[in-house]
Amino acid sequence: MHTLWLVIQREFVSNVLTSRFMIGFIVCLLSTAVAVFVQVDDHEKRLVGYNTAIRESQAEAKNWKLYTDISAKVHRKPNPLGIFNIGMETSGVNTVVVEPDKPIWRRDSSSPGWGETTRKIGADNPFLAMFLSVDVVFIFKIVLSALAVLFAYNTISGEREDGTLKLVLSNSIPRDTVVLGKYLGGMLSLFPIVVVSLIVALLLALSSPDIAFNGNDIAHVVLIFAVSLLYVSTWYLLGLLLSVWTKEATTTLILSMFLWVILTSVHANVATFAVTKFSPHKPDSEEKVFQQTIQLWNDFRKERDDYLKKRGYDSPTETVSWHRDEKGRSGGSAGTFSMSAQWFLTESYQIRNLKGTDVSVLQEFLSYQEPLRIVYTDRAEEILRKPADDRERNAKFADFLSRISFADVYRFAVGAISGTDRQSYNDFLESSRTHKREIVEYLKDKKAFSTRAWFSDEQGAADLADLPVYRYQRFSLSESFSRASVDILILLAWNIVLFMLAYVSFLRYEMS
Amino acid sequence: MILHIAKKEIHYNLTTLRFALMVILLPVLMIANALIYGYGDDGYITQVNAYNKQVEKKLSHVETYAAQGLGELAVIGPGDMPKRPSPLKFSANGTDEVIPRYVIMQEYGTASRSAKAGKFEAYAWKGPWTLRYPLNSFDEGSATHRIKIDWVFIGVLMSFFAILFTFDAVAGERSSGTLSLMMSNTVSRSQVLLGKSIGAFLTLMVPLVIGILMNLLVIQLSGSLSFDSGTSLRILGMVGLFGLLISAFIFVGLFFSSRVSNAITSLVWLLLTWVFLAFVFPNLLGIFVGNLNPIPSVDEVSLSREAQLNQIMDQFQPWGAYGPWGGSGETSSKLNQAPSTENPSATRQWATYFTAQKGIETKSLDEHIDKQFRQVQLARDLTQVSPIATFQYAMEGLANTGIVSYMNFVKQARRYRQTFIDFIKTEDRNDPESLHIYPVKEGLSQKPVDPDAVPVFEERVSYRSVLSQVGLLVLFNLLFFIVAQVSFLMSEIK
Repeated sequence: MHTLWLVIQREFVSNVLTSRFMIGFIVCLLSTAVAVFVQVDDHEKRLVGYNTAIRESQAEAKNWKLYTDISAKVHRKPNPLGIFNIGMETSGVNTVVVEPDKPIWRRDSSSPGWGETTRKIGADNPFLAMFLSVDVVFIFKIVLSALAVLFAYNTISGEREDGTLKLVLSNSIPRDTVVLGKYLGGMLSLFPIVVVSLIVALLLALSSPDIAFNGNDIAHVVLIFAVSLLYVSTWYLLGLLLSVWTKEATTTLILSMFLWVILTSVHANVATFAVTKFSPHKPDSEEKVFQQTIQLWNDFRKERDDYLKKRGYDSPTETVSWHRDEKGRSGGSAGTFSMSAQWFLTESYQIRNLKGTDVSVLQEFLSYQEPLRIVYTDRAEEILRKPADDRERNAKFADFLSRISFADVYRFAVGAISGTDRQSYNDFLESSRTHKREIVEYLKDKKAFSTRAWFSDEQGAADLADLPVYRYQRFSLSESFSRASVDILILLAWNIVLFMLAYVSFLRYEMS
Repeated sequence: MILHIAKKEIHYNLTTLRFALMVILLPVLMIANALIYGYGDDGYITQVNAYNKQVEKKLSHVETYAAQGLGELAVIGPGDMPKRPSPLKFSANGTDEVIPRYVIMQEYGTASRSAKAGKFEAYAWKGPWTLRYPLNSFDEGSATHRIKIDWVFIGVLMSFFAILFTFDAVAGERSSGTLSLMMSNTVSRSQVLLGKSIGAFLTLMVPLVIGILMNLLVIQLSGSLSFDSGTSLRILGMVGLFGLLISAFIFVGLFFSSRVSNAITSLVWLLLTWVFLAFVFPNLLGIFVGNLNPIPSVDEVSLSREAQLNQIMDQFQPWGAYGPWGGSGETSSKLNQAPSTENPSATRQWATYFTAQKGIETKSLDEHIDKQFRQVQLARDLTQVSPIATFQYAMEGLANTGIVSYMNFVKQARRYRQTFIDFIKTEDRNDPESLHIYPVKEGLSQKPVDPDAVPVFEERVSYRSVLSQVGLLVLFNLLFFIVAQVSFLMSEIK
C-alpha cells in the first residue's frame, strides 16, 4: 500500500511541476469561464423571453369565454443546466399551441402562412446559428481530453527512454502497483483542473441574479462532474495503453494526438453528416403528406354528411333554424355559420350572431361532430408528424454511430443528465400532446361539446376555472441518472477495457 | 542551401508516423466528402433540378400575368426568386440550413369585400407584392449537426497536421543535439527556418493536392461538376487558400518550437492555440457579439409591423370600421368606392393606401434583415482574428456559399425590385389609356405585356470579398513568419 502511495505521489508531483500542467490549468479555466459567461448571458435572454411568453399566454387565457376559445400555449422553460451543456436548448421549437382540433407537428422549414402549431419565439437572428455554441462540456470534451493524453503519453514509454523505468522496476515494486499508481497519480493531477473549472463555472452561473439553481440542479452538476472525471480517465487510460504499446514517447504522442483529433472532432461529424446525406429513413415529401391530410379531411366530411343525411339534413348549416327577419331573408346579418377548411390541414368553422335562434339541433349535431373531429385531428397528426419522426429516427441513427467515439458518449451522457439532449426535446413535444389529451378529456368530462357555451356566450361564458394546467417536471437526479445510464456504462466499459489492456500489456512488457 | 535543408526535412518527414497517419486520413476524408456530396441526398444535381424547376415556374408566372395585363403583373410581382445553387458546395458548405434558397417576390394573398347598401362598392384585390425574406428554421441540435465534412473541415485538420509536423522541428533537433551540428555549418539561421518551413509545407501540400485530385475525380464521376474555366480557377484559388492556411500554421508551429525548450511544451501550447483558433474563439465570439448588440426578435418586429399596418387600416378602413371579418358596420371610409379605370380619384385613394401599407411592410422587412446581416457581419469581421475563420470565409466566398453570398443575393434582389418597378412604370407611360396610378391594378395599363420584355433577374457573383480575406491570410503569414524568424534568431542552441 505504501509503495502504491509512493508511485502515486511521484507521478502527481512530476505532472504538477510540468509547464503543461500550468498551461492546461490556466487555459481550461479561462475558456470555461468565458464559455459560461457567454452562455449565462444567452440563458438570461431566453429566460426573459420565456417569462414574457408565459405572461402573454396567461393574459390571453383570461379572455377565453367559450370552449372553442381554448388555445393553450405550452412553452419550453429554459433549462439552467443548458449553461453547462447547451444541447438542444437553442434549437427546435419552444412554443406549442395546444388546441383540441389542431394537430401538433413541425416542419423542417417554415414559410409564412401555414397553420403550424409549433413555433420558435424570441429568436432574434437565425443566421447567428452559423456559429457553434461552445459550452463547458464542449471545452471539457476537447481540451480536457487533450490534457489527459498529454499527461499520459510518456508515463511508460517516456520513462523507458529516460531509463528510469528500469530503475523503478528493479525495486521490489510489483508491476501492477506501478500501473495502478501511475493511473491514480495521473488522475489525481487532472482532478484539480476538472474541479476548479467546474466550480468556477458554477460560481459564475450562480452570480447571475436571474438564474436559480436548486438543490436538484446542483446534484446534477455533481453528476456531470463525476461523468467528466470518468471521461478524462478514459483518455488517460488510452494514453497509458499507447504508452505501453509503443517504444518511443514521440510515437505515443503522435498516435494519441491522431486518435484524439479523430475521436473528438472527426468521427461524429463524419458519421452525422453521412447519415443526413444518405438517410436510412427517407421522409415523405411535404406534398405527399399534405395530400394525405386533405384526403383525410374529405373522409371526415363524408362521414359527417352521412350522419347528417340520416338525420335528414343536407349540410351542417341547416341544423340551425335561422331567425328570419320581416322580409324573409335568412342568415345574412342575423347570424352566420360556415364550415371551411381554413388551412387545409385542419377543419374549422365559424358560428356567429345566433341571437334568438333555435340551436338545439346544432348542439346535438356538434356533440356528434366535435369528438369525431378530434379523432380525425389525431389521425391528421399521425400523418403530419411522420416526416419529423423520420428525421428523428435518422438523427438517432447518427447518434448511435457517433457512440463509437467515447468523446461523443460523454457528450450524450451529459446531455441526458442535464436534460438538454434530443430525447428531452422530444419529451417536451410529447408532453404538449399529453396536455392536449388532458384538455380533450376535460372537455369530454364536462360534456362541453353539447353546451351552448361551446360556441356562444349569450347564456353565460364557459367555466374554465378548472381547465388543466400544463406542467413539465424536470427530471430528478435518479431519473437523469437512469436516462444517462447506458452512456455512463459505455464509458465505464471503455475504462475497464482500457485499464485491463494497459495492465496486461504492462505485465507482459519486455524491458530491453 | 535552403533547398538542401528542405529536401532533408522532407525525407525525414516521409518516414515519420504522422505522415503515414495523414496519408491514411486525408484520402479517406476526401473520398468521403466526394461520395457524400456527389451521391448523397439533396446533392448538387437535385438542387439544380429544383432551381431549374423554380426558374421555369417563375417564367410561366410572368407569362401568365403579363398576358393578363400590365396592371395585373404590377401587383402580383415577378415571382419567387431562387438562388442559384453553387456547384462548389462540397468545398465550403457554409451552414446552408440557416440560409434560405430563395426570396419571395410575389403576392400570394387576396382580399375582398362585398358591397354594402350602396355605400360600399364590392372590390377584390391582390397585393401589391412586397419583397419578403423567408426564414429557415431548423431543428438540428448540437454542434455535430452543423459541422459539414467539406474542404473547410479538411483544411482545419490540415492546420492540425501542420502543427504535428512542426512542433518538434526546432525543439526536437535541439534536444537531440543535431541543431548545434547544423548551426556549426555556414548556414544562416533564417535559411534553416525557411528550409524547414518549405519542407513541412511540401510534405503537407503534396498529399493534399493528390487528395483534392482524387476528390475531384469522384465528384466528376458523379456528374455533379463540370469543369469550365471559372470553376477550375476557383478550385485553384482554393488550393492557394489551403496553402496560405497551412503555411501560417507552419510558422506558428516553428515559432513555438523555437521559443520553447522542450518539444512537449511546444505541442501543448500549439494544441491549445489550435483548439482555440479552430473551435472556441470564433464560435464564442460569434455568440458574444449576438448578445452584445441585441436586435429585436422576429416576433417583436412582426408585432410592431402588425401594429403599424393596423394603424394604416384604421386610417383607410378598406373594409369599413369593422375590419375584414366584421359583418356590418359604419362604412364611411375613404375607400368607399372601388378603384376603376373610370374613377381616377378613388383609384388615387387606393394608391395612397397601398403605398402606405407596402411602404411599412417593405421598410420593416428590409430593416430587420439588414440588422440581422449587420450583426452577422460584425461577428464575422471580429472572428477573422482567427486564421481558420478567415480561411473558412474565403473558401465560402470562392464557392459562393454561406451568408455573404446570400447577402449579395438579397442586395441584387432589391436592385431587381427597383428595376421591375421602373419597368412597370415605363411600360405604363407608353399606354395613353392608362391612368398612370401605381400601384393599383386599375390605375395602370390593362394591355398585355410582352413577357420577353420583362427584365430578367440575373445573379452576379462577386468574389471581391475574398480579396480582403486573402490579404488577411497573407498578413497572418507575414506576421507569423517574422515572429518565428525573430524567435528562432533569439533562441539558444542548447
